[in-house]
Amino acid sequence: MLAYAAKRLGLSVVIVSVAMALLFCMIYLIPGDPASVALGPRASEAMKEALRVRMGLDQPVWTQFWNFYSSAWRGDFGNEVLSGRPVIEVVLQQLPYTLALIVGGITWSVGLGIPLGCWAAVKRGSFADRVVGVLSVAVIAVPSFVVAIYALLIFAVSLRWLPAIGAGEPGHLGDQLIHLILPSLAVGLGWVGYIARMVRASMLEVLEAPHIRTARAFGLPDALVTYRYALTIAILPTVTLLGIGIGQMLSSAVFAEIVFARPGVGRLVYDAILTRNFPVVTGAVLVTTAFFVLVNLIADLVIGALDPRVRSSF
Amino acid sequence: MTRSLFNISRRGVLKGAGALGLAGAAWPKMALSQDGTVLTVRSYSDLQVLDPAFRLAAPEGDIIREIFPGLVTNAQGDDWTWELYAAEEMEQIDDVTIFFRLKDGIMFTDGYGQMTADDVKFSIERIADPAVESPYAGDWAALSEVEVIDDLSGRIHLTEAFAPLWSSTLPTPSCSILSRRAMEERGEMTTEPFAQSGPYIMTEWVPRQRTTLVRNPDWPGEPGGYEEIHIVPIEDPSTAELGFEAGDLDYTWTAVSSVQRLRENPPAGGVVVEKPSLAYVWMGLNAIAPPLDNPLVRRAIQHAIDRQTVVDAAYFGAAEVSTGIIAPGLPGHRDAVLYDYDPDRARELLAEAGVSDLFVTLDILNQSERLTAAQVIQANLADVGITCEIKQNDSGTFWTLGDEASGDYWQQLQLILGRFSMEPDPSWATVWFTPEQVGVWNWERFDNAEYAELHRQGLVTLDPAERDVIYKRMQDIMDESGQYVFLTHEVTGILHRDTVSPALKPNGEPLLGGFTPA
Repeated sequence: MLAYAAKRLGLSVVIVSVAMALLFCMIYLIPGDPASVALGPRASEAMKEALRVRMGLDQPVWTQFWNFYSSAWRGDFGNEVLSGRPVIEVVLQQLPYTLALIVGGITWSVGLGIPLGCWAAVKRGSFADRVVGVLSVAVIAVPSFVVAIYALLIFAVSLRWLPAIGAGEPGHLGDQLIHLILPSLAVGLGWVGYIARMVRASMLEVLEAPHIRTARAFGLPDALVTYRYALTIAILPTVTLLGIGIGQMLSSAVFAEIVFARPGVGRLVYDAILTRNFPVVTGAVLVTTAFFVLVNLIADLVIGALDPRVRSSF
Repeated sequence: MTRSLFNISRRGVLKGAGALGLAGAAWPKMALSQDGTVLTVRSYSDLQVLDPAFRLAAPEGDIIREIFPGLVTNAQGDDWTWELYAAEEMEQIDDVTIFFRLKDGIMFTDGYGQMTADDVKFSIERIADPAVESPYAGDWAALSEVEVIDDLSGRIHLTEAFAPLWSSTLPTPSCSILSRRAMEERGEMTTEPFAQSGPYIMTEWVPRQRTTLVRNPDWPGEPGGYEEIHIVPIEDPSTAELGFEAGDLDYTWTAVSSVQRLRENPPAGGVVVEKPSLAYVWMGLNAIAPPLDNPLVRRAIQHAIDRQTVVDAAYFGAAEVSTGIIAPGLPGHRDAVLYDYDPDRARELLAEAGVSDLFVTLDILNQSERLTAAQVIQANLADVGITCEIKQNDSGTFWTLGDEASGDYWQQLQLILGRFSMEPDPSWATVWFTPEQVGVWNWERFDNAEYAELHRQGLVTLDPAERDVIYKRMQDIMDESGQYVFLTHEVTGILHRDTVSPALKPNGEPLLGGFTPA
């Protein structure tokens, strides 16, 4: 297990390194002068030049690359261009909002997807199974920003049951949870379909397994056999799927944060790209990349711990 | 028998769901402004810098105005006038001297004592000081010095008459008064203000979520209309409109394209207000990029554009066609352009120029209004035999296209759809097209000595009638160059609750401290 964990950890470091190199190249290739965009029309050329120097943009590209790489590995992403606040502080201030959104999205997808998948598997071939199948494909096909806009129009504008914008009163957990309902639904709804399909397929396979047939032969109740013995095995692939799903949800979070005017890393990066605030772009993207790699590492280690075949095959 | 946390019966689940449903239905959802204590307004960007010398966008100016008052401020209403703010008395002694006396008893927070004339001197001279490198130093370009007479009064001395002083310098944050002692002790101020002194005090900033202003009980002037003002940064106007319709906002700007829809079908409890904007939208022609280096081709393009259709299509009939860069209500506003839509004349000019099968590019910002306008322009140009390719750019790229310091695309740039906003003085519109701005913000590379001289004259001429003549002539020169097709000043759409009485400048910008419950 230790060797397996070490290999996975090494791979994660390589992934983050490659992501950093790609990120630097992409930022370097984006057209537009950060100093002009940041300082606005009234800034003199001398002021713009001073900002370029402060951002290190006057250095040769290799020097910029080395500075970026070495600083990033030390966790030093520099300071925000105009306010001078440390980028890591800016990013960490926004990260909890995005994490809450993703946890909310996972709650929707797991809370609805697993029961629906189980139900469809148990009712295999029935009308209910077909309905779940159609609905699953439908919610997978609908982009999260469309869900966001319709959820907002229905539940916030027409019915006025839920708030439309913001993340809730700071320090007021109940208000923050209420503000989380619609954005997290927008982020998580597509994954309800994925998880329902995955759980159904796994359940069908497991329900045919000899130990399940044995349990039934012993006369154990159907519910106990399905949810205690079958589901605990059938749910394993879902853990892997969720690892990937978190990356997808991070992308969806950008739309949700813009549509619902929520704070968060997605909106931070979006704004920073538009204003060419490169230290914030790099800091936020690297923190979320590291988070995504970490989540997948944990998912791999959990799978490895639960299934020895995975460890031996790596 | 013991029950674990997860051992929940079906009845328990139903009870829980019922309780949640009731809680949801009972959740108080009302506009907070209804009780007259909290006003929730939208701003289009979050604050970044609160130092008046380095402010970046209008929403920061809105906050600075409330927490760091200037000597005067804009008066609400339909005319560009000013009213006393931190000053109890202001008088223009002669063309180059202004007397002021502060209100007695304006206190800085954080123990920095009473506001004095020396603080006025410090604040104004600081912005004007080249060593400070404030982008707003130009607002005080004519400053000689601020003379302190006593604790509360002083004189502002100018080197020469400065026409924009009362319209776009004194009422703006370029005249906000900071505490000398506080600034010298604490240095830089970005997002955490200190030594505040206005009718409101900023008490909280939750990045990208909310800025809270609380009424200042020590303010000796007219108290603010609400106990608290919550400013919510929402970049997307459509999101803000939905937030308003959902009851989460009391005041917001709307997208120009939404004005007509909202006018015809306003949200429940909402009032739609339309205000003339000072902004100006135009299509520029880069005079050094072939084939636009041919004056006949440029004139042909001026005649080819059906400006009315462009504006109607892009703004859904909500905006008017403009006659230049200076909006109605300001000195220098013209009645008509010199070269308007005449496709036959455009074809004649192209024939005279001996050109055919022309191909041009049109660079625009990737916004829906601009794209629609560009598509109509494309069709207009096709009608006279010119093929036009539309190139969409994100804001970060677009705003550096013609900047010589940002690359060499300025040489290829042909047609540009531009939009600038401005303060209520015509010099704010004309300054960007002077020869000094060629390759900086003058992307058309319009270079005219008479225009430059008139711009200088306009700054030092105080007589409104004379200024009117000067600025009209400047726009005629722009027209004659063939480098400009003036499109619109747009319109400012505003949504507010019927329980709120907003205080607005003539162009619809908010004066937050003047908002009151209706």
